[in-house]
Amino acid sequence: MTGPGNTASGRRSAGDAIRAVLVPVVLFGVAGVLASDIWRFTSPVGLPPHVPAWATDPATVRQPALRPEIVVAGYTYRCSDCHDLFPSPPETTRSLTQHRHIILKHGINARCFNCHHLTNRDALVDDWGHEIPYDQPQLVCAKCHGPVYRDWLHGSHGRTSGYWDTQRGSQERPTCTRCHDPHIPPFPPMPPAPGPHTLRMGDQAPHAQPWETDPLRVYRRGPGSAAEADTPGDATTDALSDKEPPESTKPAPGGHSRGADR
Amino acid sequence: MNPPGPLPPGPRTPQGAPHGTPSDAPALTRRGFLRKGTAAVAGVSAVAGALSPLRRLDPDDLPSFEQLFQKHYKEMTAEEKQAALARIAAEVERRHHVRPTVSDPPPLAGVEYVYALNISRCIGCRKCVHACVRENNQSRAPEIQYIRVLKMQKGSIDVETAEHHYRPALVPEHDSYYMPVQCHQCKQPPCVKVCPVEATWQEPDGITVIDYDWCIGCRYCEAACPYWARRFNFSEPTIPEGELNPQIAYLSNRPRRKGVMEKCTYCLHRVRLGRMPACVEVCPTGSRKFGNVLDPDSEVRYILEHKRVYVFKEDVGTLPRFFYYFDERGSRYHEPIAPVRPAGEAESEATGALPAREAADDR
Repeated sequence: MTGPGNTASGRRSAGDAIRAVLVPVVLFGVAGVLASDIWRFTSPVGLPPHVPAWATDPATVRQPALRPEIVVAGYTYRCSDCHDLFPSPPETTRSLTQHRHIILKHGINARCFNCHHLTNRDALVDDWGHEIPYDQPQLVCAKCHGPVYRDWLHGSHGRTSGYWDTQRGSQERPTCTRCHDPHIPPFPPMPPAPGPHTLRMGDQAPHAQPWETDPLRVYRRGPGSAAEADTPGDATTDALSDKEPPESTKPAPGGHSRGADR
Repeated sequence: MNPPGPLPPGPRTPQGAPHGTPSDAPALTRRGFLRKGTAAVAGVSAVAGALSPLRRLDPDDLPSFEQLFQKHYKEMTAEEKQAALARIAAEVERRHHVRPTVSDPPPLAGVEYVYALNISRCIGCRKCVHACVRENNQSRAPEIQYIRVLKMQKGSIDVETAEHHYRPALVPEHDSYYMPVQCHQCKQPPCVKVCPVEATWQEPDGITVIDYDWCIGCRYCEAACPYWARRFNFSEPTIPEGELNPQIAYLSNRPRRKGVMEKCTYCLHRVRLGRMPACVEVCPTGSRKFGNVLDPDSEVRYILEHKRVYVFKEDVGTLPRFFYYFDERGSRYHEPIAPVRPAGEAESEATGALPAREAADDR
């Protein structure tokens, strides 16, 4: 009886000894690991993208002077200063010899004197040849853009800033040329401000292929549209080129404001 | 242990086994003390190690006594509200190092706010998104934005195919229109219905607000909202130094803490003083319109009465106070209404036509 008992107790004592060493070692190890911050918590939250200052700037796209003036070499002239001396020819199907910086892309409205007064260059003109002052550009635009003028009068078109409650403060309704260049009237395209960069999704690239999300895909001839889109090298339509990542072609943030020419 | 005894009894404890007499209490031996003592010390240090992240606990992170035992907003008396505002002001000053103006503007009588957004004019520039973040002191990292601008395919109103990570060089893109979505301030708000603690409710002027001190962060409202208008602070919000808007109100843009919901309040701290929301002020195209729908002369009233108005997800029956509307013609005047022709044709026509006209002009 002593023999087997002795060996059993010897085994047990060896196990005890191992346990006596192992348990503190493991616990000390755990304590050391936990206290030493080996797996230090690093937040998965990325740095916020830089938001350019213009993204929160409430200024209008254009700040036209609304005066019949031109600045040349630091001096400000009224339009009549020159045009009284040098009358320009009455009709302008020719290209400009002066004011070459003005690019007129106003659809079929390609005549200077549709808007500018024929004899008084310090004024704009209405449908009956009467003068419209430079600070009332909406009256000129209303000659053709009736529905938009109506909407602007009622506040459905154009910006409204200040107070919604005019009893408590002033309200500003900018006129047409604060947003539209009268010579190139479409609202100027601008670079978009940074998109969402959320915790879980990260900065996701837009869908690479337009047809992945195209709601009209069932109405299209399938192979045709896919074949076109598969060869983006030669096809440089707007729809496809806009999908390219625009890192290199990022325009300057100020590029959307086209100066203060009237 | 110094005198090496015979092998069999070697490591055995003296009180025990050979005689088999059970003792009442085990005597403490040196070996047993060392063994158990070491294990105990190691265990305690392991527990201490497990608690060691508490070293980084800032006492400032814990809610104060007043905050813990603050009543629900609607049950607070005027004095208690003033005390809460003072506490918020002190907290903001301590954390953000600016002296804020904390207020609690009441809803105006005879006013119901309505928002209208012209989808024909929106160009998707996302300025509203960032003006909103700036105005309402949302967290920059992790990023919380109340407005999500969806890029939609022209000819479709299917938001399942919308894209909000678009980043072309210039917007608008010709094949798309843009539909910003934010809180619609519904008349039948499902988010209010699901809140188990009534931490969110609808004010008399139609704005659905949250008491950030009462919210338990269960996110039921986020799940209930059909417009994805509610955002959750998954971690402690961060606002860069100096970018905090010091004009803050209890129910709208006071800095939030980790674990609470937040949402657009139509800039409650601005509109209840008669001002426009920040997103309206910043919109470069004037697509965003805001006003009192009970005033028959207001802009939004004109829009609702005269324009073609579209209610987003009208079928869910939430009766939003946010309307999308259109202009008469197409999307934008300068863009073709007809669908874009195949690439080859359009390009040859464009490249062929333009130089010819320029040449004619030069003559």
